[in-house]
Amino acid sequence: MDEHPELVKRALAGEDSAWEELLRGHSRKIYNLCYRFTGRSSEAEDLTQEVFIKVFQTLRTYDAAQGAFSTWLNRVARNHLVDHYRRTRRDRLTSSLEDEVGQIAEKPSQTDGPVARVESRERRELLQAGLDKLSPDMREAVILRDLQDLEYEEVAEVLGVPLGTVKSRINRGRLELARVLKRMEGMRGQGTEP
Amino acid sequence: MTHMELENLVSEYLEGRLDAVRRVEVEAHLAGCDPCQELVAATREVLALCRSAEDLEPAPWLVPRILRATIGERKPSLWEQIAAYVRPVLQSRAAYVVAMAVFSFSIIVNAAGINLRRIKLVDLNPRTWFYQANRNGHLLYGRAEKFCYDLKVVYELETRLRQLRPQPDQGTGGEEKETPKPQAPAGGSTEGQQPSAPQLASLETGDWKLETGNWKRESRNSRFGIGNSKLEDRSPLVSTSFEFPVSSFRFRAPVSSPRSITR
Repeated sequence: MDEHPELVKRALAGEDSAWEELLRGHSRKIYNLCYRFTGRSSEAEDLTQEVFIKVFQTLRTYDAAQGAFSTWLNRVARNHLVDHYRRTRRDRLTSSLEDEVGQIAEKPSQTDGPVARVESRERRELLQAGLDKLSPDMREAVILRDLQDLEYEEVAEVLGVPLGTVKSRINRGRLELARVLKRMEGMRGQGTEP
Repeated sequence: MTHMELENLVSEYLEGRLDAVRRVEVEAHLAGCDPCQELVAATREVLALCRSAEDLEPAPWLVPRILRATIGERKPSLWEQIAAYVRPVLQSRAAYVVAMAVFSFSIIVNAAGINLRRIKLVDLNPRTWFYQANRNGHLLYGRAEKFCYDLKVVYELETRLRQLRPQPDQGTGGEEKETPKPQAPAGGSTEGQQPSAPQLASLETGDWKLETGNWKRESRNSRFGIGNSKLEDRSPLVSTSFEFPVSSFRFRAPVSSPRSITR
C-alpha cells in the first residue's frame, strides 16, 4: 500500500499505466463491496464502474496525509452505494431473471470440487440473503468489518461516524444477522421436510 | 451482568477485545444462562460464515470497460505492440504447427539426400526431391528387408546345428566324417538346388567357419522398382562369415542351396 501515493501522483500526471495499476489493484475489492450491498452481479459491475469513474474524476481531492488511498476509495464507494440505495429503493423489490442467471454463473474457485463449489455458493447465497434483510446502517458496517476486513477505525473513517457507533452497529448487525439466518434455516428445514 | 449488557459485548468478547475483568464477568454469566450461550454460539457462527465467504471474481471485461470509460482507448506501448504480434505465434497450437512443418521439411530434405550447405539449382526442383526421396526410401526398405532375411538364415543355421549336435558320437576316433558337399558354382548362383537334410553339414572337431556364397534374390528386388542393380550383387551382409563358438565339432557343408559352408 506504500506505493499508492506515488501511483496516484503518476496517475494525476496523466500516466495511464499508473491509473490502470490502481484500477486493477482495487477493482476486486470494490466489486465485492458493491455486490454485498446489492446482491446482484450485473448491478455490482455497473456500480463498480461508476465508483471508479467518480474516483478518476475526483482523484485530485485525495490527500495522502489524510489517510490511506484504500480508505478514501472505500469512502467514495460507500457514499456512492448509499446514494444508489436511496435512488433505487423502490426498484429493488423486483429482481430480473438476468441477475439470477448471473448469480448462478458465479464461480468462487476453479480448483474446488463440484460439491465444495455448491456448498460455497449456498453459503454465499444464504449470507447475501441475510445481509439483504439488515438495515442499511448495520449492513454496511458488517460488510466493511467482516467481509472487507477493515479495522474498526477504518470503518469509522469510511462511514464518517464515531468509533463507538461503529462498534454498536457492527455488534447489532451481527446479532440481527444471526437471528435472520436462524429464522431462514428454520424455514428451509420446514420446507425440506416431507 | 444482565442479558442486555452481555448482548452489547458479544462481538468484543468473541473478538477478544474485552479486558480480563469484563471477560470473567461475561463467562460467569454465560455459565448459568442458556439463552445467552445460544446467542454467543449463533454470533460465532455468523462470524465464521462471514470470514469463510470468498471474494467473488469480477467479470474479465470489467476492468477494460472501466479503462475505456475513464482514459479511453489507450495507445499501446511499443513493447505491447510487439507482444501483440508475437502472442499468436507463442500459442501452443501455432508452435506445434511450425515444429511439424520444420520436422517434415527436414525429413524430406534428408530423404532426398539434399545437402543444404552445397545446394545446387537442380536441388530446388520438387521433382528431384520426389525422385531422390522415392529412390532412397526403396533402397532403405530393401536393405532392411535383406537384413531381416539374413537374420532368418542365421537362425535357420543355428536350428539345424542344434539338430545335428547328437551326432558327434559318430566322429569319435579322430576321423572326420564329411557329408557329400554339393559343389557351389564359383561366383555364381546356386538357386534352385535344395539339398536334403543330411547333406547340409559335415562335422569336424575344432572350430568351424560358415561362409555364404553368391546368392541372387531377383524375386525380392524386382518389386522395388529400382531394377536388379545393386541388390542382386553379392551383399556384404550375405557374404559375411559367421563363426560359431562350437569347439566340439567342425561344420563344413552348404546349409541351403544358395550358400556353401567351407572350412
